Amino acid sequence: MGDRYSFSLTTFSPSGKLVQIEYALAAVNKGVTSVGLKGTNGIVIATERKSHSPLLEDNSIEKVSVICRNIGVVYSGMGPDARILLDKARKSAQEYKRIYLEEPSVMIMVKEIASIMQEFTQSGGVRPFGVSLLIAGFDDLGPSLYQVDPSGSYFAWKASAIGKNMINAKTFLEKRYSETMELEDAVHTAILTLKEGYEGTMAESGIEIGIAYLEHTTTKEGDKIQQGRFKKLSEPEIKDYLANL
Amino acid sequence: MEYNGGAIIAMKGKGCVAIAADRRFGIQALTLGTDFQKVFSATDKIYFGLAGLATDVQTLLSNRIPSPTPPFEFTSSRPIQSFFLKTKADICSEKFRMKVDMYHLREEREISPKTFAHMVSSTLYEKRFGGYFVFPTVAGLDANNEPYICNMDGIGCITTPNDFVVSGTAENQLYGMCESLWEPNLEPEDLFETISQALLNGVDRDAISGWGGIVHVITPEGVITRTLKGRMD
Amino acid sequence: MNGNIEHRFSPYTDNGGTTLAIAGEDFCVVAGDTRQSEGYLINSRYSPKVYHLHNNTVLATGGMHADGVALVKRIGQNLDWYVHKHDKDMSAQALAQMLSTILYSKRFFPYYVWNTLGGLDENGKGCVFSYDPVGNFEKLHWSASGSAGHLLQPFLDNQIGHKHQSNVEHHLLPLDKVLKIVKDAFNGATERDIYTGDFVEIFIITKDGVKVEKHDLKKD
Repeated sequence: MGDRYSFSLTTFSPSGKLVQIEYALAAVNKGVTSVGLKGTNGIVIATERKSHSPLLEDNSIEKVSVICRNIGVVYSGMGPDARILLDKARKSAQEYKRIYLEEPSVMIMVKEIASIMQEFTQSGGVRPFGVSLLIAGFDDLGPSLYQVDPSGSYFAWKASAIGKNMINAKTFLEKRYSETMELEDAVHTAILTLKEGYEGTMAESGIEIGIAYLEHTTTKEGDKIQQGRFKKLSEPEIKDYLANL
Repeated sequence: MEYNGGAIIAMKGKGCVAIAADRRFGIQALTLGTDFQKVFSATDKIYFGLAGLATDVQTLLSNRIPSPTPPFEFTSSRPIQSFFLKTKADICSEKFRMKVDMYHLREEREISPKTFAHMVSSTLYEKRFGGYFVFPTVAGLDANNEPYICNMDGIGCITTPNDFVVSGTAENQLYGMCESLWEPNLEPEDLFETISQALLNGVDRDAISGWGGIVHVITPEGVITRTLKGRMD
Repeated sequence: MNGNIEHRFSPYTDNGGTTLAIAGEDFCVVAGDTRQSEGYLINSRYSPKVYHLHNNTVLATGGMHADGVALVKRIGQNLDWYVHKHDKDMSAQALAQMLSTILYSKRFFPYYVWNTLGGLDENGKGCVFSYDPVGNFEKLHWSASGSAGHLLQPFLDNQIGHKHQSNVEHHLLPLDKVLKIVKDAFNGATERDIYTGDFVEIFIITKDGVKVEKHDLKKD
């Protein structure tokens, strides 16, 4: 492509920093807050769904998304950038499944996404993604929660927050989080954390929640099996949680 | 398949699996070698056999190593030499060894037999048109030591029965043997006897299979490998 | 349309089915399934292909059913003529040779039949003869042929011939054991061969005559 810059726009400053990445992080820190928590039997990720206008259709916004059957993601930052990553992640999950006929482990998925994000800090003619992600999933090793940043670095968390209100949310989580809490409690704590920085009253249409958990099913042959699953909570489900706060 | 001939069986037992193959290498009716390796290990608990065109089994897919033990006179009641295979790298088909090793590095866990089988299957299907002329058989124990066996055609279509799988030019004979000799819940030693009898008698009625055999019985404690001496004609 | 259409006469078909015969010390067992099929179609579930001949021998015919019927009819006539001529039944060995001669007489338009003949020899011992369609034959102790012959032959080698069983005594098996093996063999063949199934007819030849047993096989 001749009309593309063949060199990377992300270059070191004399002090050794990559300012483009710092700008990308600034974009993330302008984004809506998202939180993620690990419970003993699952992960919850949640974010605000802010309508900028009462005229907007609430349910047209999706910020918590399913990558594959056992993994989901939420972002803070630039929506369009997140969508590109989501597409790539979903495609990579399906490619994995085509080869092994099983869902990828959370770690594999995280590494895949992180390496894409890293690539965009070094390739020519592109800019880093203006998003941080919280990736929640359930696999053979149990539930796990990861955060991936624009630089491509990733961390496994017991609980974390990204976006505008990250600092306050993290302080709140540090106080409220307990390693022994179950998924139900984790969902509550996630909502409470969001509520801290929430402007106005929180309604079920105002937040999105996704959970990773272990599903127990019986096969056609009658064998009892358990599989890691990720699903988004419906508005009625969220409404129940809000009512029980 | 009729170019080189061959016979491979895998059987489920009680908490164990067995995989066996003949050891002939030949070109049509001409026998050239009697210590040809058709069964390889992917991990300590997964073995796989490749029946079919020897060039694909060997050159494209494997690196050959000398036979593990000299053949001995096989009698059914006498348990003879057995040994545990120490490394997986020393006897693994090349292409699949690479893929398994990459899997272990990437995923930081042992590959399960089922996942391995699907990996083999998709490797074959990648070359759906003009692919490898091999018909793989996989036998192994998963993380819970549950037995797993399967085999597939040359383009990776998998079958996973609960009893046994056979492949190679002696397929019909082996089906006849296995169908009548196999029974559920065989202990490792009985499974060894069953698979050995099925193999030896089966290949004797196939002109281009035989010349001895090799049997691996995979148990949670380790792998029992024995070579069988058969009719050399 | 002005093209010429070629019509070709194809006189042969394979109706499938499996037969086997096992010789014992003082008996002979001949068995065959009763399915008669053509391609994926089952023509009949009970169309026996094992025939009790007049001289206390039993002939199992696999391959093309019509040719089998014609062949058995011709053998029957020859057996009758033999009685009229010699005032005694033809021996099994003589019939075996005659069958080969009949088959070879049609060397260039053969009966499309794989025969297995079972009977007692002049000393009262069981004997089995196995044929190809043009009369090549061999005297054996056991034989399996037909659509699942490939499956059963190594099984018989192992169970009747004790092949690869170095620590067992080699001897001819008693009738009850042989019958068990025959049933096992046919159940196994039925499991894997689509041309074998429905029923198995087992003919037991002893000096007292011929008895027939019929057992169910899977019908799928």
